[in-house]
Amino acid sequence: MTYSAEISRSNPSCFLFLIDQSGSMDEAFGAGESQKKKADGVADAINRLIQNLVIKCAKSEGVRDYYHVGVLGYGAAVGPAFSGPLAGRGLVPISEIADNPARVEERTRKTDDGAGGLVDQTVKFPVWFDAVCKGGTPMCAALAQGSAMLTEWLAQHPDCFPPIAINITDGESTDGDPTAKAKALEGLASSDGNVLVFNVHLSSHRATPIEFPDAEDGLPDKYARLLFSMSSLLPPYMRDVAQQEGYSVSDGTRGFVFNADMVSVIRFLDIGTRPSNLR
Amino acid sequence: MRVRSRAFWAPKAGNTEQEYEDAAWPLRPVGRTTRVFRCAVADGATETSFAGLWARMLTRAYARGALSPVRRERHLARLRSEWLAAVTTRSLPWYAEEKVRAGAFSSLLGLTLQSMDGGRIAWHATAIGDSCLAHVRGGRIIQSFPLEQPEQFNTRPCLLSSRPSANGASPDCFTRVGGCALPGDSFLLMTDALACWALGVAHCDDERWDSLRDDALTTGAFAATIDALRAEKSMRNDDVTILRVDLERPE
Repeated sequence: MTYSAEISRSNPSCFLFLIDQSGSMDEAFGAGESQKKKADGVADAINRLIQNLVIKCAKSEGVRDYYHVGVLGYGAAVGPAFSGPLAGRGLVPISEIADNPARVEERTRKTDDGAGGLVDQTVKFPVWFDAVCKGGTPMCAALAQGSAMLTEWLAQHPDCFPPIAINITDGESTDGDPTAKAKALEGLASSDGNVLVFNVHLSSHRATPIEFPDAEDGLPDKYARLLFSMSSLLPPYMRDVAQQEGYSVSDGTRGFVFNADMVSVIRFLDIGTRPSNLR
Repeated sequence: MRVRSRAFWAPKAGNTEQEYEDAAWPLRPVGRTTRVFRCAVADGATETSFAGLWARMLTRAYARGALSPVRRERHLARLRSEWLAAVTTRSLPWYAEEKVRAGAFSSLLGLTLQSMDGGRIAWHATAIGDSCLAHVRGGRIIQSFPLEQPEQFNTRPCLLSSRPSANGASPDCFTRVGGCALPGDSFLLMTDALACWALGVAHCDDERWDSLRDDALTTGAFAATIDALRAEKSMRNDDVTILRVDLERPE
């Protein structure tokens, strides 16, 4: 059975984020209906993903190294994209990431007041990655560099739960069709299965967010269809959890979202008992 | 009635004993004549922090009789305050603050035995989550609670939280069952990994299942059985706890 390896400190898994930092990311979301630039959306998305991954691995005594995480940016150049103390680093143990954000901001969020209402609560929001938008979109080069990083990781961790590569982009590759490079990345494998390649498509297109579709029908443009086709099928375990979380899934469901975040993927990961009533 | 109980436990393989997050009460061997006997096991959820502390608080409270249906909500409120005070005594890093905000979660399975007139013994059990009780007579499980089949276990049970709102507007999410027991009967209170395996093999002739019910079971023999089950992947790698309660026959 694949995608069943236990994720532990002695057999950790790996996340690699590929981040589009091209000039086109300077545009706004949703055809100008939002003031937020796509690049800021990407930065929020990646910071939230890392934050959720750290929290998932946090225990009473600290953060357990169930994962190593890398952030690879592509725009004017292709390379490691952490800001702050981790700048220039490749795959970093999650405990080191937890303790080394570039800064910790304070944000307000709604939370339940224990009596059926909502109250504003100030929470800490660590930032590891800042918005950048410059140059072209060398997605093929980024996927190739990602393959090189994960090849090395897999040589050192041959029996790990397969690495997950999440590509966050507006989809307009400028160095060719990325399909073959994505398939090459997905072709890498541990004894437990192939690398999972997921895509987050942030678009200026005014369209309803789409999460984990199982067909191209209804995707708003050719870039969405391309990224959908480049995305791995969700393994059965993730599909089951996605279904429990209320997503409509089938055998064809792929790790792809359009104008939405992918924080839910963190909940799909199994490192032990997760209460169904934990939100 | 004359009651004996013994608890056996093991942390998840690869974890230290300090990282064990199940709980059992009483943890030390007990042998006594009594009219009422209460005991409990609990399983703190891996994905939450300070869950072992919460599990220990719950088992102790149940064994003291503080979680009876009449007193439960008031006492849970007190336990939740105590948990929060205990985990916030020092400054926490940002991720630990998030974990405290999300709360600790744990299963809880409690068993109460009561000696009745005419030598009868009544039992009732209370559960939230997937820790499981097996009522054994003549070497056979005659009832299990709250789950009955291995297929009913998954890694996402609904658990009791230190954060009150996580258990919804209706706090009474416990299930209850009860019945009559006889001298010579045993009750096994198990956390989920062991319970899932046990419910799968209990109706077969399985030497390891027999060994776990053996009066002469030692800590070393228990550890060896658990190691073997994990090695052959018959049992999920998780913290493991079993609390055996035997009703002795009169001499």
